[in-house]
Amino acid sequence: MTNEEANRLLNAYIDGELDPAKSLELEAHLAENPSVRAACERLREMSAAIRDKADYHATPAWLEARVRAAIPAGPENVSARWWRWLTPVGAVATDWLRPAASFAAVALVTWVVALGTMRPGEDERITQEVLASHVRATLSNRSYDVASSDQHTVKPWLSARLAFSPPVADLSASGFELVGGRLDYIGSQPVAVLVYKRRAHLIDVFVWPIETQKSEQMSTRDGFNIEHFAKNGMGFWVVSDLNRNELDDFARLLAEQGAAL
Amino acid sequence: MTLAADSVLLHHTDPVPLHKPLSEPKRRFEQLVLLHFDAAYNLARWLTRNDHDAQDVVQEAVLRAFRFFDGLRGEARPWLLSIVRNTFLTWVQINRPADTVEFDDALVEIIPTDDDGPEIQAARNFDRKMLNEAIAALPLLFREALILRELEDLSYKDIARITDVPIGTVMSRLARARRLLAESLGAPSNISGTQVHK
Repeated sequence: MTNEEANRLLNAYIDGELDPAKSLELEAHLAENPSVRAACERLREMSAAIRDKADYHATPAWLEARVRAAIPAGPENVSARWWRWLTPVGAVATDWLRPAASFAAVALVTWVVALGTMRPGEDERITQEVLASHVRATLSNRSYDVASSDQHTVKPWLSARLAFSPPVADLSASGFELVGGRLDYIGSQPVAVLVYKRRAHLIDVFVWPIETQKSEQMSTRDGFNIEHFAKNGMGFWVVSDLNRNELDDFARLLAEQGAAL
Repeated sequence: MTLAADSVLLHHTDPVPLHKPLSEPKRRFEQLVLLHFDAAYNLARWLTRNDHDAQDVVQEAVLRAFRFFDGLRGEARPWLLSIVRNTFLTWVQINRPADTVEFDDALVEIIPTDDDGPEIQAARNFDRKMLNEAIAALPLLFREALILRELEDLSYKDIARITDVPIGTVMSRLARARRLLAESLGAPSNISGTQVHK
């Protein structure tokens, strides 16, 4: 095998796409050629760096909720009629060539659905506000003011800007990575928001001191799961598009660790 | 608190009233396909390179996927991703015709390949922001191959199906994508821009 041939196979090799015979042949070549071996290592590092550092863009939960709502629930003939109604031409083959029309129609449907089901309730004000804060932060890609995976960076940053010091738990061992923190204004007071990440899902934890020991609550809104509990005089509101089971685990860990801090 | 504006964003779309059972196709679609919503969005986001267009594309793609749900054979994720890609191509020709020059396969061929590996600085030190910008700056055909391989961890065979080219082409596009990336990051990098303390 020449160096040229070896270099040509390196990408398929690090991607695990080379057949066993060729792999063995290449490995034998690598063992004898430090320069090709170094190139192989660099390629592996490049691949690992991309996997580690390239953004995996999570779906905004409001978008997923909107699209799910726009999927016709009825049988197929109903959906066909629905689409024909959206596009005057009516031909199945051409309607997707008119994305602008479809987008506008979907937006219209969404808007109508939204109007029909909107029900603001005064008692839900906090839930609404933490959810709004979470969505706004996700939408604007501005989830944190201080970006750090280190609790000893996030906590002092928040403490310096608030009248209280929020407990910041390190849950990385359980697969919940701390990514940062931000400030927000909920229920007429400044609060701390700790931002954790599970895979591509961001989890916002809103923390502020409370006097009454409210009972635990959980709810689902617009595809977001929301949990609330209180510990050591602090109220916690947890909001994420993460699934309910994992978010439960997270809230439990947070309650345990938060109490220890 | 701008609650008025928020309530528009947070339209309460309880999808289906409880008393009305979900229809069979919709439920199956949700179980099989919508599981991969994030993958669809991530691909659309990397193809369009901005949130707003990605939202349009992914919404259109998912609704199309539902309409062609009967055509699903094999795994749902590559199938959905191929629909996202096709929707994007249609979308870009209508909305961003100037960008379609990127599809020219001739462009792929004129990217030089040297036999020696590029002088990559230790990749583990790449600045996150610069790396993301460098990937976003890759020509479309390289960018999509790279995203499907590294972020979706798909096989060459799946990538070949999604991008509608032979496996050998996938291999050469990936090789060139990584090479271009290495070259654009190879210049002495300014690490000071990062905010993340690890």
